[in-house]
Amino acid sequence: MAKSSLDKKFDKIREREESKSFSTKKRSRIVSKFVNNRLAVFGLIIFSIILLATIFAPLLSPYDPMRVDLRSMRQSPSLDHWFGTDNTGRDVFTRVLFGGRVSIFIGLGSAILSALVGIAIGCYAGYKGGWIDLIALRVSEIFMSFPQIILVLLLVSITGQSLFNLMAIFILTGWGGMYRLARARMLSLREEEYVQALRSFGLSTFTICYKHMLPNALSPIMVNITLSTAMFILTEAGLSFLGLGVPLNIPTWGNILNVAQDILVLQNYWWMWGPVGIVISVFVLCVNFIGDGLRDSTDPSQQG
Amino acid sequence: MITYIIQRLFIFFPMLLVISFLVYLGLELAPGDAVSHMISPELASTITAEQLNAMREAYGLNQSFLKRYWLWLISMIQGDMGYSMAGGVAISEIMAKTIPATLELSIVALIFSTIIGCSLGVISALKRGSGTDNSLTVAGMAGVSIPEFFFGLVAILLFAIELRWLPVGGRLLPHYETVWDRIPNIVLPSMVLALMMTAGAMRYARSSMLDVLAREFITTARSKGMPEWRINILHGFRVALTPVVVLIGFRLPLLIGGSTIIEQVYQWPGIGSMFIRSVRASDYPLVMTISLMYVFVVLTASLIIDVLTALIDPRVRLGKE
Repeated sequence: MAKSSLDKKFDKIREREESKSFSTKKRSRIVSKFVNNRLAVFGLIIFSIILLATIFAPLLSPYDPMRVDLRSMRQSPSLDHWFGTDNTGRDVFTRVLFGGRVSIFIGLGSAILSALVGIAIGCYAGYKGGWIDLIALRVSEIFMSFPQIILVLLLVSITGQSLFNLMAIFILTGWGGMYRLARARMLSLREEEYVQALRSFGLSTFTICYKHMLPNALSPIMVNITLSTAMFILTEAGLSFLGLGVPLNIPTWGNILNVAQDILVLQNYWWMWGPVGIVISVFVLCVNFIGDGLRDSTDPSQQG
Repeated sequence: MITYIIQRLFIFFPMLLVISFLVYLGLELAPGDAVSHMISPELASTITAEQLNAMREAYGLNQSFLKRYWLWLISMIQGDMGYSMAGGVAISEIMAKTIPATLELSIVALIFSTIIGCSLGVISALKRGSGTDNSLTVAGMAGVSIPEFFFGLVAILLFAIELRWLPVGGRLLPHYETVWDRIPNIVLPSMVLALMMTAGAMRYARSSMLDVLAREFITTARSKGMPEWRINILHGFRVALTPVVVLIGFRLPLLIGGSTIIEQVYQWPGIGSMFIRSVRASDYPLVMTISLMYVFVVLTASLIIDVLTALIDPRVRLGKE
């Protein structure tokens, strides 16, 4: 007996169910949405190119970023020196690559670490509430009472300048935002039925909030990490430009730009500061594109 | 309402007190004390320990930390901000000189960014999804991605050095007599600052306008046969932009912090460049006073916002935080 068309339909559905083509649907929707966002893909590609170029810097450039060569001072861009050379004859292109290592490390590292601190506190305090939450809230309010750049400068003047100090300062000034985000998500998740069920099973607080609730708060956190990476890279550049960030002997994007404070350099030697400024802008723009794409693909309410 | 304001004030003052204590403590822990910074390197080799001690005695640095904090706090409340270590100028005098410059710059930038941002945001909302909208969104993201000082440097190179239309920096020159003489100086820094802030204003204006355009009174107006431009101007703009302008107005304190680096790039003699100079020179009294002033401004602004929101929306003051 021939199968009716309805039976055929059901068979097809069962087949697809068994081959598990439904099970990965949620993840693939996020990925496909992200892939469809042309700006985000563009951002991701350029981001990866710049990141890889800085990682493999020694392979891409025959020069030493620190070596002073007074015979080839202030040369304009040529085939030997793509971005020219600076006041002491160092190859600017090499310095941009090696500087990128430090700058990206500071930006990404501070963003991830401050997120870890903020999430660790925010999850627990948001779920538990009570005096822990109250104290954490007040402490984060103290940090938020300063304009960000002012707090960073104040802390720099207290601790002095070093790479380690700068990252510590970024984490100290950055955890508050992440804490508030995680806390707010926890507050709204706290009353969900699955959390109450877990609680009635007698699971420990740690298991409930870090293992079961945190994954549901992850997508806004990911977006926030991307955006704060962009912000930290810009802040580092600004501080080093002022000569108050990373010590000048370490090449970073901001430190390379530092020479542009001299009006003679600004006027006559555009290659010492122009290309690196463009690289920073493009890199940060790409990070922002990625962040925006992530937000659109993970959070439908934010679109429009 | 009054209880709510009192409640907020009960948070405001302790907060200020705690922060001032933390800042004082932080600078106390910083390497070197006031005296060690006052001595020039040439003198450092010849000066004796007794002389150093005498200096510390004279400045009251031998007293206990808490006592010094207390004395400082009292004099601060009485309006005596102390003296800068560089040149011994009264801090109140420095503040009186630099704050107007920063306010001038910030307010001009705020006005321009609000006008540009709101109009671009409205245009982008009206042409939602079009090429104009998309390119404005990308431009807005570029605006927050370019380091402000780099943008400032390019502007200097272009308009001040190559084209020679505008001065490189500074605010007042001795031969300036009228307000008009000063305008060329403020154009570049305020424009750079304004363009950097336009992105935020544009985003607010766009989403607020989209919100309003979806409301029912717009449909009603349209069904009455009102021409599209009248709907947009009479009903759309007015409703959409009021909250945006209010919101942007309150960003002034953040802006005052944000102008710091631009002030430095353009040698603008405001509080921001003064702060950077004091950080560089480890001029702790000045660093402390200026950062506390920023905190005071931010806290006051958020207090005012809270009270205003509570006035508008009674749920805020009745409900929990």
